[in-house]
Amino acid sequence: MDKLTPQELDKINSGAKGSASDWIKVGMSTCGIAAGADEVHQTLKDETKKRNVAIDIKKCGCVGMCYAEPLVEVKIDGLPPVTYGRVTKEIAMKIVEKHVCGKMLVNDYIFELEG
Amino acid sequence: MALYTKTILLKDTNLSQEDRTRDFYTHFLQKLTELNLSELVQVVRASDVGIYNQGVVIKIIPGNIIYANVKDSDIARIIDTTIKEGKVLTDLQVKPRGKQLRVVLRNCGSIDPENIRDYIGVGGYLGLKKVLFEMTPDKVIEEMKKSGLRGRGGAGFPTWMKWKFARGPAAEKYVICNGDEGDPGAYMDRSVLEGDPHSVIEGMIIAAFAIGATKGYFYIRAEYPLAVERIQKAIADARDCGLLGENILGSNFSLDVEVRLGAGAFVCGEETALIASIEGRRGTPRPRPPYPSVKGLWGKPTVINNVETLANIPYIFLKGGEEFAKVGTATAKGTKVFAVTGKVRNSGLVEVPMGITLREIVYDICGGTSSGKPVKAVQTGGPSGGVIPAEYLDTPIEYDTLAKLGSIIGSGGMIIMDDDDCLVDIAKFYLGFCVEESCGKCSPCRIGGTQMLRILERITEGKGKIEDLDMLKRIAVAMQKASLCGLGQTAANPVLSTVRYFEAEYKEHILNKKCPSKKCSQLASYTIMQERCKKCGLCQKYCAAGAVSGSREEGYTIKQDKCVKCGQCFEACKFKAITRE
Repeated sequence: MDKLTPQELDKINSGAKGSASDWIKVGMSTCGIAAGADEVHQTLKDETKKRNVAIDIKKCGCVGMCYAEPLVEVKIDGLPPVTYGRVTKEIAMKIVEKHVCGKMLVNDYIFELEG
Repeated sequence: MALYTKTILLKDTNLSQEDRTRDFYTHFLQKLTELNLSELVQVVRASDVGIYNQGVVIKIIPGNIIYANVKDSDIARIIDTTIKEGKVLTDLQVKPRGKQLRVVLRNCGSIDPENIRDYIGVGGYLGLKKVLFEMTPDKVIEEMKKSGLRGRGGAGFPTWMKWKFARGPAAEKYVICNGDEGDPGAYMDRSVLEGDPHSVIEGMIIAAFAIGATKGYFYIRAEYPLAVERIQKAIADARDCGLLGENILGSNFSLDVEVRLGAGAFVCGEETALIASIEGRRGTPRPRPPYPSVKGLWGKPTVINNVETLANIPYIFLKGGEEFAKVGTATAKGTKVFAVTGKVRNSGLVEVPMGITLREIVYDICGGTSSGKPVKAVQTGGPSGGVIPAEYLDTPIEYDTLAKLGSIIGSGGMIIMDDDDCLVDIAKFYLGFCVEESCGKCSPCRIGGTQMLRILERITEGKGKIEDLDMLKRIAVAMQKASLCGLGQTAANPVLSTVRYFEAEYKEHILNKKCPSKKCSQLASYTIMQERCKKCGLCQKYCAAGAVSGSREEGYTIKQDKCVKCGQCFEACKFKAITRE
């Protein structure tokens, strides 16, 4: 990347706002990886590819709910953003099938903290 | 496909009885189908709603309306009033507590730490831009003074003051980020480095600008490979973008940074030992003064700030020092990240405003103890901190109040203990850690620690004398007064605070040779309850001392004279037929 000027810094900042597209975030800090986030991340990537869904799958840090790792946060247009906890390979597949493709929240794995 | 207009999350939060989540789920679905609403409203069973022991809890999105203690009979009126008309039923409503406040962890988990554009997108490096083009170093320090930020590494020294001391004229100055996080059970810095490395880099650049440093070091322990990898990637990206190196963002300020790995010595978190380690010498502390702000790395003025402290700084300059100071108490501003572990339901990182009580953290945020038993004590501050008994749970957390209780905030480790934990054992564990990690340079720490540990071992083995309590206190005071660095000065804190609050428990060990929590296996005696014994023979198999006699036909007994009290039989018995008393 070229050296940034202060103006470009502002441009990147304002350009990032209001991007409402869909995304999946996987907690990939040491705590998440220890709990199996690598496999979950890979599964999400494979499954979305299989189903031809273009969605941004991001590797993120730790949100602090270490007891519920691996954590997967999903934002799909038209649905509230939710965080799934203790996600396994199977649950990751369900998330892609039901939540990403079917536009329905998946039962039993949502961790909703802090109102 | 029809999209839902409303979402109902639901969860039965009573743990003592059968989970009724599914029943309520079905009832809601039935009712919605009856009213032809099932196409518009989706009902979802949640796994955790962050509220505990308040019956069935439902949350309605959008609006974030939370109802607790919902009964079967409430379903109809919830659907009629709240779902259809959008009105709130005040008798059922509970307010979301929102006790956490994210400043340091503001981006952790929401941005991709390996993507610098993500960080800039959430306002990253904009604080730096303001500093470089609109402020002078003196103004930066003035702003820091307004914010009231104090060091988050343990001692709580005002950051602006540290910077000011390093302002004097000198050709070379350094900034060091202390990422040598060593307290058992604490991992706040690791999470920040892994989840938001750019915020730490930005904080460091601002610190360097304020004191006029041209070189920075990240001192991170080698046990954090992912943190090291991410910070190195972040440094490389920042350099590519012109945010590090010569003429940052086209200004005339230059700074380059380098990562140094710590080999895992606890004492290297102490600033003078850390400096020695970076210089390539043995990591031992030296007497202060001179403080590093005056004479630090390579003899030059050096500012050493903790990871969490640096991560606060970009926020201060983006939002302003006064805004930052709105949170917290009179003497402690801002938030603090705690790593809550031990016997707690939801362990993890919590970031809370200064001044919150321990009770709020333990019960409201972390959901109480994992065993359901009452909290006995909370250990804060790691091996340099102390133990706070349950009766002080309502103390607001800030530097001074915890110091009065004989503990410290420290770097933010917090270990919750319930009735199954023996405080003598805990004191022994922490002291053992410090003895192991003592560098051995000064004798109060080297010898005092070892002697105290011996006394504690004696007490937990039932060989303690009542004079030992006074001896512990005497050695502890000597260590506090005479040790060279913070490690030795504070190593006795866990012992002192447990003796202070749990003297009865010590006396029980010494006089009655009993451990009330049954944790000290050497003080227990083991017997087999014949009526429960299934004669499986596992205890005999596990007993290395040959103290279990008998056979599968006759049953088994433990010969007390041969028993070495290792507790193996107790752990092995699947039928809980062995008692430990």
